[in-house]
Amino acid sequence: MIELGVLGLRLALFAAVYATVVSVFGARRRRADLVASGRAAAYIVHGLVVLAAAVLLRALLQHDFSLEYVAAYSSSTLPTYYTVAALWGGQQGSLLFWTLILTSMSSLVHLQNRDRNEALMPYVTATMMTTAVFFLGLLVFITDPFQRLPVPAREGADLNPLLQNYWMMIHPPSLYLGYVGCSVPFAFAIAALASGRLGDVWIRTTRRWTLFAWFFLSVGNMLGGRWAYEVLGWGGYWAWDPVENAAFMPWLACTAFLHSVMIQEKRNMLKMWNMVLVLLTFTLTIFGTFLTRSGVVSSVHSFTQSGLGPYFIGFLTTVIAVSLTLVVIRRPLLRSANEIDSFLSREAAFLFNNLLLVGIAFATFWGTIFPVISEAVRGIKITVGPPFFNKVNAPLGLALLFMTGVGPVIAWRRASARNLRRAFIMPLAIGFAAGLGLFAAGVRHYYALVCFSLAGFVLTTIVLEFYRGTRARQALMGEPPVTALAHLVNKNRRRYGGYIVHIGVVMAFVGIAASAAFRIEEQHSMHPGDSVEVGGYTLTYQGIRNEDTPHTASMLAEITVARGGKVLTTMYPEKRFYKRQQQPTTEIALRTTLWEDLYLVLGSYDDQSGLMTLQVFINPLVVWLWLGGITMVLGTMIVMMPTAAEQRALAAALAVEGRAFA
Amino acid sequence: MNASQTDLEEALTCQCGCGLTVHACNHLQCPSGIPLKQEIASQLALGKTGEEVLSYFSGKYGEKILSAPTTSGFNIVAWVTPFAVVLLSTMLIVILTRRWRRQQDTVKPPAPAADDPKLRARLEAELDRWDA
Repeated sequence: MIELGVLGLRLALFAAVYATVVSVFGARRRRADLVASGRAAAYIVHGLVVLAAAVLLRALLQHDFSLEYVAAYSSSTLPTYYTVAALWGGQQGSLLFWTLILTSMSSLVHLQNRDRNEALMPYVTATMMTTAVFFLGLLVFITDPFQRLPVPAREGADLNPLLQNYWMMIHPPSLYLGYVGCSVPFAFAIAALASGRLGDVWIRTTRRWTLFAWFFLSVGNMLGGRWAYEVLGWGGYWAWDPVENAAFMPWLACTAFLHSVMIQEKRNMLKMWNMVLVLLTFTLTIFGTFLTRSGVVSSVHSFTQSGLGPYFIGFLTTVIAVSLTLVVIRRPLLRSANEIDSFLSREAAFLFNNLLLVGIAFATFWGTIFPVISEAVRGIKITVGPPFFNKVNAPLGLALLFMTGVGPVIAWRRASARNLRRAFIMPLAIGFAAGLGLFAAGVRHYYALVCFSLAGFVLTTIVLEFYRGTRARQALMGEPPVTALAHLVNKNRRRYGGYIVHIGVVMAFVGIAASAAFRIEEQHSMHPGDSVEVGGYTLTYQGIRNEDTPHTASMLAEITVARGGKVLTTMYPEKRFYKRQQQPTTEIALRTTLWEDLYLVLGSYDDQSGLMTLQVFINPLVVWLWLGGITMVLGTMIVMMPTAAEQRALAAALAVEGRAFA
Repeated sequence: MNASQTDLEEALTCQCGCGLTVHACNHLQCPSGIPLKQEIASQLALGKTGEEVLSYFSGKYGEKILSAPTTSGFNIVAWVTPFAVVLLSTMLIVILTRRWRRQQDTVKPPAPAADDPKLRARLEAELDRWDA
């Protein structure tokens, strides 16, 4: 059975090389038969990778410890759902999983475009298959998931306990869908460059794919934060770890692309810039995988490290070299038809929004690689940790929040004084009032004050948009308010869905600022029966309880939580010991309200004296970060729903290009 | 600088491999974080300022123990570059946009009548002929 997986990967590699070569050859020579053969080969690659993944999954589920991978990342007592997750829990498996998603997307793209985009598709096939060749090459030659042990192990070493968490079931697949999703717009961009068809078609064809990738990158980042919050037990959700940065950077570039692409659609501008952004996004996804898998920068997340670095650097260099060469060759075709008329215009606002997004991505990249630079220049290892990223990115992030309010409502081309007054006077007034009110209430954390004022500003611009749109429909159509609002959103899903995403962004900013600025953190050593007061809560330690399963042994502290004399709940912060990996983990206890999170960590326990150390965190408003994430997801779903207008726009773009190249 | 214990814990990186600051690391009996916290406390007890404590630590453990680059020497590059890049790009956008606009003003082709029905019909007819 295992041999089937090995054979599947080898044949897939061969078929992917074949698909790449015949697709390019077919496109250059205008040979439809070769192009069709390339397409068929791409489907075959997908089938073979599915087979290989199924073989590995079967080996995991059957606890076949003769396989090195199965023995290293699972055990016979590991619950079934985590055994499934072990498929992406280790290096070889995660690369295979990546390839599985990539080839699945390749098949979907080929199905979607089976009778259109004939000129672009061969290059799309070639680009996606080249990426597949890289990953399959790693799997076949460098890091084989089907490696046998010289002597089969009697028991597996188990999955890393930190990964045995429900968020880990969905965080990596989500991030991978996002990462790999970026390869579709990239493939179309390369196809547009290679074929010289640089009109709107590639952009309109890939719009939903870009949104899809962005959606999963957003979800993946949020879930990763939530996982860190619950599992790492230090009271925070984001540590600017290299691997977190690796997932954050493509999200930023993709966000920039989603915005600037609107300028190309509406005003036929920024073609070159959009091309650069889409290439940058894909490059950053590969860079992210490289950071995770190479161990070049030390990280708590690099669960598996290996000597894959040089191969990734080689692939990255190739991607960048090919992309830049194509962009330079096609430069004349990437000239914009229009230019910016005024800096007080939506085009300019979007451009500055892009600048800030890419600026934050750059600052994050810079901080991530600076230790390597420092070592090369001075020969001294240094650390670039959270204080650096917070200090550098906070002002840029706040400027970005400001642009979130400006961009969508400022007029196209040139904003008139009337437009500016109508759009911004009330939001600015409310933003200032919010800031002054908080200042009067005693808030003295200046970043937080600025953030809340900006949040008030942005929210008001959005609410006004909904209000004015609804009023206009009420007046025009005579609809009642709720119907008018529903129709307003439904008739223009891109715009109003986008506003909903922005509301989510504001919520996330508020959650981040409040939980960073006003966090309470205390540590107490307690005997059973002791009580402490923290942030208005009375925490009473009742005692320790032990639990034992075949897989884990746990120690739980029972803490009664009261406020104003009234018992609210009982919480059980826990130390859990994973028997196979001989590793203790922290399982926090959490009580969430819309106002604040009470977050308890069992620090240590002394059996003899009965003394227990409890860490108490009170994180204000942090739930708004997660609610903001959910709001962003809902907004993106609204934006992604297909509309007739969009289909017409794509058909029109296809017709224009068809004529131009006929 | 009159730094608190927490400030200094945030300014130092735990050496246990967790990648977090000394303050954030909460590993059970962490072999690095816990002694470092005690060492910070004893340094502060000597009446040292924050800068003095940090220079004591970087002298003893090397610069890599500091959780952010210092603001002197080559490390300034780390702090300045991101802002410099954003500022320079802003200036570049402003300059390029102005130049393009000037060029556009000087060599502006006569604007076609956007919606002249006669021209539109002729264009459609020619395109149809071309397609056929």
